[in-house]
Amino acid sequence: MPIANHHSSVPVIVDEDKCIADKGCTVCIDVCPLDVLWINEETGKAHMKYDECWYCMPCEADCPTDAVTVNIPYLLR
Amino acid sequence: MKINDIPVIETDVLVIGGGTAGPMAAVTAKEQDPGLNVMLLEKANVKRSGAISMGMDGLNNAVVPGHATPEQYVKEITIANDGIVHQPALMAYATRSFPMIEKLDSWGVHFQKDETGDYDMKKVHHLGTYVLPMPEGHNVKKILYRRLRRNRVQIENRYTATRLLKDPDGKIAGMIGVNTRTAEPIIIRAKAVIMATGAAGRLGLPTSGYLFGTYENPANNGDGHAMAYHAGADLANLECFQVNPLLKDYNGPACAYVTGPLGGFTANAFGERFIECDYWSGQMMLEFFKELESGTGPVFLKLDHLAEETIQEIETVLHTNERPTRGRFHEGRDVNYRQRMVEMHISEVGFCSGHSASGVWTDETGATTVPGLYCAGDMASVAHNYMLGAFVYGQICGESAVEFVKSRSEPELDEDFIIRELERIQAPMKRADGIPPEQMEYKVRRLVNDYLQPPKVTKKMEIGLERILAVREDVPQLCARDPHELLRAMEVQSIIDCAEMAARASLYRTESRWGLYHYRVDFPDQDDGEWFYHSRLFKDEDGQMASGKRPIADYLVSLGEEKDAYRKMRVQKAANE
Amino acid sequence: MKTYDDPELQAIAVKLTSEDPGIRRVAVMDLVDSGEPEAVELVIQALNDPDTNVRQEAAKVVDEFEAADMADALIAALSDNDEVVRNSAAHALADLKDPAAAAPLLEALESSTDGFVVSGILRALKPLRNPGSQRPALKRLGDEDPRVRREAVAVIGWLKQPENLPALVETAQHDKDPEVRRAATGALVYASPQQVGQALIALLKDEHWQVRCEAANSIGKLDHQEAVQALMESTRDELWQVREKAVDALGKLGSTDAIPVLGECSKDAMSNLRKAAIGALGTIAHSDGRPFVVTALDDPDPDVRKLARWAISKLDAAA
Ligand SMILES: Cc1cc2nc3c(=O)[nH]c(=O)nc-3n(C[C@H](O)[C@H](O)[C@H](O)COP(=O)(O)OP(=O)(O)OC[C@H]3O[C@@H](n4cnc5c(N)ncnc54)[C@H](O)[C@@H]3O)c2cc1C
Ligand code: SF4
Ligand code: SF4
Repeated sequence: MPIANHHSSVPVIVDEDKCIADKGCTVCIDVCPLDVLWINEETGKAHMKYDECWYCMPCEADCPTDAVTVNIPYLLR
Repeated sequence: MKINDIPVIETDVLVIGGGTAGPMAAVTAKEQDPGLNVMLLEKANVKRSGAISMGMDGLNNAVVPGHATPEQYVKEITIANDGIVHQPALMAYATRSFPMIEKLDSWGVHFQKDETGDYDMKKVHHLGTYVLPMPEGHNVKKILYRRLRRNRVQIENRYTATRLLKDPDGKIAGMIGVNTRTAEPIIIRAKAVIMATGAAGRLGLPTSGYLFGTYENPANNGDGHAMAYHAGADLANLECFQVNPLLKDYNGPACAYVTGPLGGFTANAFGERFIECDYWSGQMMLEFFKELESGTGPVFLKLDHLAEETIQEIETVLHTNERPTRGRFHEGRDVNYRQRMVEMHISEVGFCSGHSASGVWTDETGATTVPGLYCAGDMASVAHNYMLGAFVYGQICGESAVEFVKSRSEPELDEDFIIRELERIQAPMKRADGIPPEQMEYKVRRLVNDYLQPPKVTKKMEIGLERILAVREDVPQLCARDPHELLRAMEVQSIIDCAEMAARASLYRTESRWGLYHYRVDFPDQDDGEWFYHSRLFKDEDGQMASGKRPIADYLVSLGEEKDAYRKMRVQKAANE
Repeated sequence: MKTYDDPELQAIAVKLTSEDPGIRRVAVMDLVDSGEPEAVELVIQALNDPDTNVRQEAAKVVDEFEAADMADALIAALSDNDEVVRNSAAHALADLKDPAAAAPLLEALESSTDGFVVSGILRALKPLRNPGSQRPALKRLGDEDPRVRREAVAVIGWLKQPENLPALVETAQHDKDPEVRRAATGALVYASPQQVGQALIALLKDEHWQVRCEAANSIGKLDHQEAVQALMESTRDELWQVREKAVDALGKLGSTDAIPVLGECSKDAMSNLRKAAIGALGTIAHSDGRPFVVTALDDPDPDVRKLARWAISKLDAAA
């Protein structure tokens, strides 16, 4: 069966100006229990790659530069 | 040693799942014998994994001298579970609960204390005092992590276990799994294995339809239940589902334990209490469910009668610990505890002994029916274990595993089995198109909601089982574009296993028990003559899913009159149904 | 620069000498994953980094290590010019729970004036229950900063020494800050009723409701029989929360004189109060209370009914 791509709006936002992934930080990526945060190949900063979030907040709480904001996923907002 | 060019890693004790029970098990094994190799393998990252990733609001089941006795606790949990418990296992928890609190306290976990330094226990209802708040409980994971490093436990993050390995003589021999970021397989040979992979939380679908909006941490999708089953271990009482009261659309617990001592309560649309049951149990959930569906429903959390200072205190706890996005959720909907009640609902179904009583069968030593395999926490069958139970059974399993390893010879690996499992793991990424795991997961979980969610109806469950088995037929079409999707593809196979187990176990027990958890509309009565047993679910010699009965071990604490008092209450309730 | 045997730790040590504070900061975060005891040295080094962000990061990770290994560095960090650093150091110190830390903490206390720092040190001293903390804590009861006074109360409460009671009573009754008064009122429970009973009765009339609640609680815990009359008055307090605690306490005291007022409370509009009243009547288990309990069997609130059934069983058992 062929596969289509579908869009979805993701709950976690990373402020790229604040993110220091380029200095070697991967904290949010490390702590996420669902492994949905990855380095964005284009920008070198962290981003949410998969819309599979438990809105549990370790990514936001542990980010050293307060670059992460966890919103409530749209479906349950 | 290498199999298919993959090096086999050797360890003495392997712990799978680094949430709550797992780290305690690993640390305990090292404390018992620092010379042993102890490895902790975790699907996510031990630093922030599992149910307590952001801390916990409090202990729900602390048996603290002066406030409750182990006998009293065992009695109450027995009653709350309609008699179907293994009392020796409850007693082992109850007697070790306080020493565990003291241990955690000495490690730096913050429990609430009064102004003179004594534990500040709270009475949530008149039966016994078991609640110990921990408003500053955010640091639990940090402390566990510190202990793991200090005891030099070897940690492997971002590996998901997929199957357990056994010796030709039936003893545990290790596990096989896969890296969630690189898709590289891992083979581990171990003399004893402790599993602590948590609840099966991705079984039902939340009402919001969001696959990951579950009550449980979604990393806990029932892998452990599936692995134990395939390794030939017994599972027990799986029809005793977990269903919890939750905020509507938000997976924050109802927090009776937080707000109760401060005067908040669960109310109907008129702001009145309606719950008759005294125990946190399926009976209570049945009342909740009925109120939800009734003319006085839905159900609310009522706090608007409390003083400003109290509400601030509640907000501080609820919006910083455990589920800290709760405040944002309320903000988004303009809900303020001061002004109106908060709508509540019930969670999707799952398997979890932390709050109910089902799971991989374990006795008071944490042993399963497979020699050398131990289970602790939400996936093991010890009823109402919660967080402290996970810690206590983590400790018990750590001790038992070390004891087992002492007389254990070098395990032999079954290469054919391993090669077949490697094929299963690698298959989804070899397919360019097919069915993505997300779609398959949505489908099977939607079926669970439609056909298995209580109230349970025989014919519906039979159809549900048929449909679930049909989804299983589609597994060879599962495809994954990257290692992350491969993780989800492996998970969905466990979810299908759990869905089938849920259906078969529910069909097997032809009575109603545990209130809403196993409420069978066409068998509405509890039938102690036929069903005063643990139900078993296991893989039989032909590799088929089979059921059976396990006798209830003699009680250590008899129930006496309290049981009758409880019965009376049920009858009374039945009269106004 | 010192070299380390562990390659990972060595790599971190190298990064910590980078010119770029961003890289030094990330290196500090990596320290958390090292199981090497020597990692502590590098944390201490980072606590003294010239860059504020690096020091903050170091302060954030200190509680991942055994605080005893760096008590001195933490105490020094208590006077850092950055508040985040000071705060983390204070928290880490509080978790120390190492009796050996008492001496340096006490020394630091001696020379500290900043309210924030002082309260942090007091919080760290509290669980150690070191007799040496008594004198400085008593002194700090007179501090201007309410945060300091609050922590001083806690230190004294945890010490549980009879000779400190007059000072605690004084604070409970006359401190300007309600939270300090509340804490002191709660701390009085290690006394005997003779020593603090009068004060607790007076505190039932404190202007702040949470102090009044705490006073009722403490009276209940101490089983102070002479407080019955005062508690009975408190069952008419303007706030139901206070009335609820007074009713609880009357139950604990087992006071049969209170049955009529408890009966009144069992008919109150606020269900939480009715619950408490029926609970108290059950605990007292005297036949005079039975009519109220019987009425409550038909209460519209199921929690009240449950307690009424339980209270009946207590009454039956006592009869
Ligand atoms: C929202 C919420 C609130 C709660 N509130 C309270 C409370 O206030 N008080 C209380 O006492 N209890 C509470 N509980 C219950 C308590 O948290 C749990 O009972 C306890 O933490 C369970 O511990 P565990 O070790 O079994 O599971 P977890 O701590 O969840 O750990 C399971 C671990 O296994 C890992 N894992 C899963 N599958 C695999 C695999 N295939 N391979 C490798 N690793 C895997 C997971 O990533 C996870 O880290 C709450 C639970 C939840 C979900
Ligand atoms: S934790 Fe913060 S700084 Fe680090 S990678 Fe994530 S967003 Fe960037
Ligand atoms: S909120 Fe939780 S699940 Fe979502 S991205 Fe952050 S850590 Fe991951």
